[in-house]
Amino acid sequence: MSGPKRDWAAIRLVMRKDLTAVRRSKSIVLPMVLVPAVLLVLLPVALGLFARSAPTDQVANALSSPLVKNLVKPILDLPEREQIIVLVLGYLLSPLLLVIPLMVSAVLAADAFAGEKERRTLEGLLYLPISDRDLFLAKVLGAFVPALAITWVGAIVYAVLSNVIGWPVLHRVFVPFTQWLLVMGWVAPAVAMLSLGLLVIVSSRARTTQEANQLGGAVILPLIFLIAGQASALMLAPPVAVVVVGFGVWGLALLLLMINGRRFTRDRLATSS
Amino acid sequence: MSDHAPEPAIETIDLSRSFASGPALDGLSIRVETGEVLALLGPNGAGKTTTVRLLNGVLTPDRGSARVLGFDVATDGDDVRRHTGVLTENAGLDDRLTTRENLIFSARVRGFSPDAAASRVNDLLERFGLAERADDLTQGFSTGQRKRVALARALLHDPDVLFLDEPTSGLDPAGTRDVIELIQSLAGEGRTIVLATHFLGEAGRLADRMAVLHRGRLRAFGRPDELAAELWSGIGAQIDLGAPADSEVQTALAAVPGVTEVEPSATGADLRIVDRDVLPLVVAAMVGQGQTVYEVASRAPSLEDVYFAIEATFLAEHGGAEVTDGFMRDRPEPPTDPSSAIDSGSAMNSGSGAGTGGGR
Repeated sequence: MSGPKRDWAAIRLVMRKDLTAVRRSKSIVLPMVLVPAVLLVLLPVALGLFARSAPTDQVANALSSPLVKNLVKPILDLPEREQIIVLVLGYLLSPLLLVIPLMVSAVLAADAFAGEKERRTLEGLLYLPISDRDLFLAKVLGAFVPALAITWVGAIVYAVLSNVIGWPVLHRVFVPFTQWLLVMGWVAPAVAMLSLGLLVIVSSRARTTQEANQLGGAVILPLIFLIAGQASALMLAPPVAVVVVGFGVWGLALLLLMINGRRFTRDRLATSS
Repeated sequence: MSDHAPEPAIETIDLSRSFASGPALDGLSIRVETGEVLALLGPNGAGKTTTVRLLNGVLTPDRGSARVLGFDVATDGDDVRRHTGVLTENAGLDDRLTTRENLIFSARVRGFSPDAAASRVNDLLERFGLAERADDLTQGFSTGQRKRVALARALLHDPDVLFLDEPTSGLDPAGTRDVIELIQSLAGEGRTIVLATHFLGEAGRLADRMAVLHRGRLRAFGRPDELAAELWSGIGAQIDLGAPADSEVQTALAAVPGVTEVEPSATGADLRIVDRDVLPLVVAAMVGQGQTVYEVASRAPSLEDVYFAIEATFLAEHGGAEVTDGFMRDRPEPPTDPSSAIDSGSAMNSGSGAGTGGGR
């Protein structure tokens, strides 16, 4: 973001205002609470408890097949009784954490951009002495920061739950591990920003939050499937590969945001609202 | 600075803006002096809201320029908006925030400290009769209450120029009266006010000058009386004889030196005379005819009279029939009695046009 100096006070005020408004909107708060609760609490507890009591010989057979043998070497190196717990909670369910930044930032972005149009509150903002760039930054950060906060809080909850469930078998902390930390600390923010970049494009074409969510769903859902499908492999890949993938996602996300930022002008907003 | 004329509050030169649907504003050139109340008149789609948006740097002009308080609206938008307050047609309040939160947010973005914002907001809540609903979400507010909150928001920073876009639309009569009284008190404080409206009554009560827009072009600009003087020669008068003037009385009236037109009315006749000195001659002539004269009066033309006369001129030129769409009044009788002569402060235009002139 080049150009005039940023007015961070105004940016924070817009973010705070948006967050206050969002907190009072059940239709936004509910999915933001329920989805993480299901993905980060119910699912790991249910599957973790199941995995703890699962017969180990079947797991060992599955993991020793030629197709996955090399890939799951970090798991195969573990004592047999630990494999299933580490596999399920460390590698299979952990990637679902990436769905959280994707989903939360999409919901918040739809409200921040299309929602303003729908509620006809945009014009009031446009007559305030805040630059187009600062307004854009405020809207983007207003969706990004909560998405990241929820993701990281969710990740901590998930890690604690996983270790509590795994403790009777493992007697040690197995989450986080290096790749897990890299995915949460480096890739998850990039995913949130990518989702935002896509939703801002969608929201600029939508007149209502519902329309933005529907259009956004068409864009975000394939991304969710892609992430859910590939992130397990990411957890098993060498750390440097995770960093490289993170760079790729960040690059794409920032490119989208730059394009969106250039298109985010009062003139466009006023004529599209 | 003392060698020059004082800087106008607003000056536009050939200000133009088009959308995909066509030109919304085409070559607007006006000058509004500090402390003046300008009525921006025109039917729906005339270009009033586009003008307000352009003058606040929300829209970018395609052509021409505009300065508000010396700031170029195209390049110094934030500076303009720091000194202007805008009441938009839709109040634009965030319904998920309380009245106080809506106002505090705007005050803080405008640079108020938390304490100063709280104090200013409390003052305005009291002034606008909103103190009791300060901590209610604005979701259930009536249109009138929303307008008052939005007006308070527009005044938070005590702006030098206030833009009011359809301030009474959607209000009931009591709400309309309240808002008009508020605007009158604001005008009394010497603030420059631009009142964009298609309610001619409120504009007539509040405005010093009027700018008539139609299809994005300025049709007339000036004080109503100045524009009236351009529209009609002489002044109008009414004579009350207790009954419609018959042909004999009409002939006698027409024979009075200085009477240029005579039309019978329900109680006597409507006259057009060259000046007020003709009135005693009219009375004498009627007394000479044995008529009882109950009243003789001249009537100043209202802003509505002038507007519709301008519209009629436009209709005659363009043969359009839809010009009055969206106007909230009945068509008036022909206007009478312009109280002052034409000066440089008025301009009527068959196309785009410009005008400058003094304020109040």
